[in-house]
Amino acid sequence: MQDKITRILKAVADPTRREIFHALVVAAAALPITQISNQFDISRQGVTKHIKTLEEAGLVQIQSKGRERFCIANAQPLKEINKWIGFYEQFWDNVIGDLEGYLDQNA
Amino acid sequence: MKDVISKEHVFFHPIDKVWNAISKEEEISTWFINADFKAEPGYAYTFNSKGEDCAQITGVVKKALPYTLIYTWIVQDTHVETIVTWKLEETAGGTKLYLEHSGIANYPGETAVKMFSSFKGGWDRCISDLTQYLKQEVHAG
Repeated sequence: MQDKITRILKAVADPTRREIFHALVVAAAALPITQISNQFDISRQGVTKHIKTLEEAGLVQIQSKGRERFCIANAQPLKEINKWIGFYEQFWDNVIGDLEGYLDQNA
Repeated sequence: MKDVISKEHVFFHPIDKVWNAISKEEEISTWFINADFKAEPGYAYTFNSKGEDCAQITGVVKKALPYTLIYTWIVQDTHVETIVTWKLEETAGGTKLYLEHSGIANYPGETAVKMFSSFKGGWDRCISDLTQYLKQEVHAG
């Protein structure tokens, strides 16, 4: 079973999926899948597949209204990625700071 | 998605001094982390924090030529291999460090969470004995 962050990373690893996600974020409203596929040079099926991957990662929520399905972006899961990448960012900043302190001490 | 952390920093110290600090076991152990380390390709190193409940870091040296040092970086119990690269370049009056940590997207989420918790709030305790070192130096001086 894939865990959450792996699903998020895989979802945003694909440029088309990032574009779809971006389009939804910019729209800031629920868009029907038909309208989304019109914006892209790939089949509706292809777009649906990408949206499903985004949905599995929690980045998109799908609501059905009648025969049409509406998608809305949810950026919340991206924060989790930031959180653990930030961990190493902070880590190496500290390491460099310590190295500098050490070098200065032994000047 | 971002898979690489890159840092640049200029030290106002000669390149060989910086190189020794990052590649010699004794010096690494002083400012960074307790190390069993040799700057030789193929050497399986161990970084062992003196603090309690701190994850051990292991890896293999891939390249160690002045002034490039590359080693794999595996945090205990994660089984995820990432790569740390140190590159030094001489600049006017100092040394420029390019530090890169790549492959971090390889950490599955659960591991990442575990890693957080193993280090959380424990940076000073786990990573650096420098504060202690500096205090000793001050007292000795």
